[in-house]
Amino acid sequence: MSIKLIGFPSSGPLLRVIITLRELGLPYELEIPANIQAIKEEDYIKNKHPFGKIPVLIDGDFVINESRPICTYLVSKYQGKHNNTNLIPSDVHKAGLVGQYVSYESSYYDPPISTIIYQEIYSKKFHNKDPDPEVVKQAREELAKVLDVYEKILEGKEYLNGEYSIADIFHIPSTHYVYGIDAHSDLWDSRPNVKNWWNRLYNREAVKKTFDEIKN
Amino acid sequence: MTIKLIGYPISTPTLRVVICLKELGIPYEFEPPASFQALKDKDYIANKHAFGKIPVLLDGDYVINESRAICRYLVSKYQGKYNDTILIPSDVHKAGLVEQFISYESCYYDSPVSKIIGQEVFAKKFRGKDPDPEIIKQGREDLSKVLDVYEKLLEGKEYLIGEFSLADIFHCPCTNLAYGIAAHSDLWDNRPNVKNWWNNLRNRDCIKKSFEEVKN
Repeated sequence: MSIKLIGFPSSGPLLRVIITLRELGLPYELEIPANIQAIKEEDYIKNKHPFGKIPVLIDGDFVINESRPICTYLVSKYQGKHNNTNLIPSDVHKAGLVGQYVSYESSYYDPPISTIIYQEIYSKKFHNKDPDPEVVKQAREELAKVLDVYEKILEGKEYLNGEYSIADIFHIPSTHYVYGIDAHSDLWDSRPNVKNWWNRLYNREAVKKTFDEIKN
Repeated sequence: MTIKLIGYPISTPTLRVVICLKELGIPYEFEPPASFQALKDKDYIANKHAFGKIPVLLDGDYVINESRAICRYLVSKYQGKYNDTILIPSDVHKAGLVEQFISYESCYYDSPVSKIIGQEVFAKKFRGKDPDPEIIKQGREDLSKVLDVYEKLLEGKEYLIGEFSLADIFHCPCTNLAYGIAAHSDLWDNRPNVKNWWNNLRNRDCIKKSFEEVKN
């Protein structure tokens, strides 16, 4: 039975899972909910996600939700089964550091970048409001401080933990969205290590394919 | 060489690690930083935590930070070595669900509880300000919705995935602070499954001992 993934195609959390599925060489089917209301219905809340969110992954009888746990589950079950790509090292110390960088993404990187995405992309699209320049300025300043730290962390390294890992993947969707806004790409491009890291991520086969799909 | 934990007992992330160390029966030394300022020193930033935060764990030459990452590392390296306590099951599906509930804690539970304790516990102590009743009210409303979901999730279960796991531990520190404030314990006590779950947790030996350390 094929893996089924439920979510909206341009959702950042969904894209984390799609990139992971592709990197591991795992076939899957994408089921797009009819609309936002569909994921708040009683049946969805009871059987798919108690907080009415996406993505949700169904693997046979097993249902799991929340993008980062889904990805970690896929790695622990399928890593090495379809190809040689390693997303979490078997060495317990290296894996620990991957977990540390996963935490940096959700604790420090995601909040300011999500604020920018909300202002620049969602506000207009879903609430018909213009971006608030003060809020965007504040978020840029916060993200700049985070990227200054990343610039040091990435010194002499291709990826956050040296080798490519799930920690890098978790950063990709939101970065793609904000980097794609002309006014903000400087945040990455003005920092050489960060710029190289982002270019490397963006040019991975699985990542390119995933972003091409949402253009269409 | 004994494991060394750098942090403050009152810090909820530090307490996550303390509970985890105790539950796994791992001996450790606790080292509070010299001062808050010490966390921003160049040396600390370069060698302990790139964002100048606590907790940090030192295991021989190995340095790892971010509380959830530290706990996962401790489980993967030491689970079963000192006692029989299982915090992450070996079954890949059960482990996936533990991660899912860990994500619920950081995405849905933590923010409203932090709003409450940020005002009631930390505002006066660290910022010399009185608690803001509006923020507390909002925190209570948001948390009520989350606990309504937890009430359903805990139906017929003692702990979040059934057996005690790391996911339950991660909820403990901030719940301990919020529940300990008389005006807010109703949030848990009004919901039978949630009340039962919290009572199970706060009466566990290691958790009780860890909460004692916060008081002192």
